[in-house]
Amino acid sequence: MSTITWITARGLFGRRRFLLLLPLPLVLLGLAVLCRSLGVDPGEWGPPVLVGLGLAVVLPVVALIVGTGVLGAEIDDGTVVHILTKPLPRWQIVLPKLAVAAGVSAATVALPLYVAGVLADSVRLGLALAVAAALGALAYSALFLALSLVTRRPVLLGLVYVLIWEGLLGNFVSGTKVLSIQQYVIALADRIAPTGLLETTVSVPVASVMTALVSVGFTVLAIDRLRSFSVAGETS
Amino acid sequence: MPEPTAAAVRPAPTGVIHDIGYQRYQGPRLGRRQVFGALYLHGLRTAFGFGRSAKAKIFPWLVVGIVSLVAVALAAVRSQIGEPVATYAQFADAMSWLVIFFVAVVAPELVSRDLRSGVLPLYFSRPLPRADYALAKLLALVTALWLLLGGPQLLMFLGAAFTTKQGMRGVWNELLDLLPGLLYAGLWAVVFASVGLLVASLTGKRAFAAGGVVAVFLMTTPIVGVLSILPSRAANELAGLASPSTLVQGVGIWSLGDLLVEGDPGEMMIGGFGPVYALAAVLLVAGATALLLARYRKVAS
Repeated sequence: MSTITWITARGLFGRRRFLLLLPLPLVLLGLAVLCRSLGVDPGEWGPPVLVGLGLAVVLPVVALIVGTGVLGAEIDDGTVVHILTKPLPRWQIVLPKLAVAAGVSAATVALPLYVAGVLADSVRLGLALAVAAALGALAYSALFLALSLVTRRPVLLGLVYVLIWEGLLGNFVSGTKVLSIQQYVIALADRIAPTGLLETTVSVPVASVMTALVSVGFTVLAIDRLRSFSVAGETS
Repeated sequence: MPEPTAAAVRPAPTGVIHDIGYQRYQGPRLGRRQVFGALYLHGLRTAFGFGRSAKAKIFPWLVVGIVSLVAVALAAVRSQIGEPVATYAQFADAMSWLVIFFVAVVAPELVSRDLRSGVLPLYFSRPLPRADYALAKLLALVTALWLLLGGPQLLMFLGAAFTTKQGMRGVWNELLDLLPGLLYAGLWAVVFASVGLLVASLTGKRAFAAGGVVAVFLMTTPIVGVLSILPSRAANELAGLASPSTLVQGVGIWSLGDLLVEGDPGEMMIGGFGPVYALAAVLLVAGATALLLARYRKVAS
């Protein structure tokens, strides 16, 4: 475990605001348990809870807060200079940070999704959701980590992607679904455990190739951007 | 030790404060109202990025642009097919995600920057009561949100008024439709501003504030979806209380009735619980404002 990993993890968990992440998965769990205990048909509560809340809100929002936080917070308060001036190759900075971000997001999201999936259908669906969510967390983290190096307002740009691209346009214009990580996650989960609960128009090969492409591509971009990174003050 | 004794022997220094010619301020001193007004105006300008760099204008005007575009498109379609595609209130409902995004952009700008740069002690060393600071910011956000929804509604109204085929009577009918729509936009503005500003005032980091605002608003929407399929009629009809946007819609359905849903009752069923929705909306706004004031009663940085 490298020092960068250690510093990043401590930067995430050491602050009280990490607790802000907890309500999201808890609500997901609570709703799943509530529906199950009241005996509602899983076909009815599955889509709103698993997809509407879990994959469309909890996964991207947690990945956004964590993914932009691992590097963005250090850029914001200027302490990134301490890491940049060490004789480390840039990939040794980006990869551990990406690993921490993806790991934390995956753990926060996959666990409640697994439980919800088990409650909705079967252990297989739970595992499928957990695996797909973990892959999605990796792709989202790579995207948001790269965003925090490309722009000074990574969270807002990430929100534009999550809210307007995936949320608003995805509902009206089906073409944008081909470029939506959320749809890849749904496709992958549906492939591992075929049920009637998950629906998407994206094919599985496209989803797996695009997920890999997004993860690798944005990581390479982040490493490249960090190579020529200039520290500036806060935007006005 | 010779020096302290020498210093004690020396006579006390007789210092003189020289008048080096600074002018005293002789003009009228403006009071609390002017401070409040200045803070409000500054907040409103901040919301749309006026008086700041081009970068600060990108996100607010992106939202304003999309909302206006939708309004113009609706007005154009309406003038072609001759009947309204969406009422003014339905337009406000359809824009809810953009409203959430706008709150996530503006609320951190209004309060989180001041927390982060530590200028609050400077504000509060003036004759400015703490409540005034929070209320001025809140009022600025409410106005900005109302302008965001009301401006495009006005565009739709103009589009309808200029293409109406019933002369002045058609314009008058259209105006009667517009006014409740503007009121409804005001309701959206008050509810979303009070909750959003409260969330944003908890942290000095704009990034975290924006994420928090979106998380609070988005997280509550699926709860409504789940509550509305529970096997209990009362739970279904009260489901809208769980989320700010459906709460506003519930109040709208109760107070505006057919203006909002036009004939078919739609997905939102509130049954006879209309007054409950109105009461909940009032309590939500009052509670959020009270918490905001409490937050600024004791804020260190």
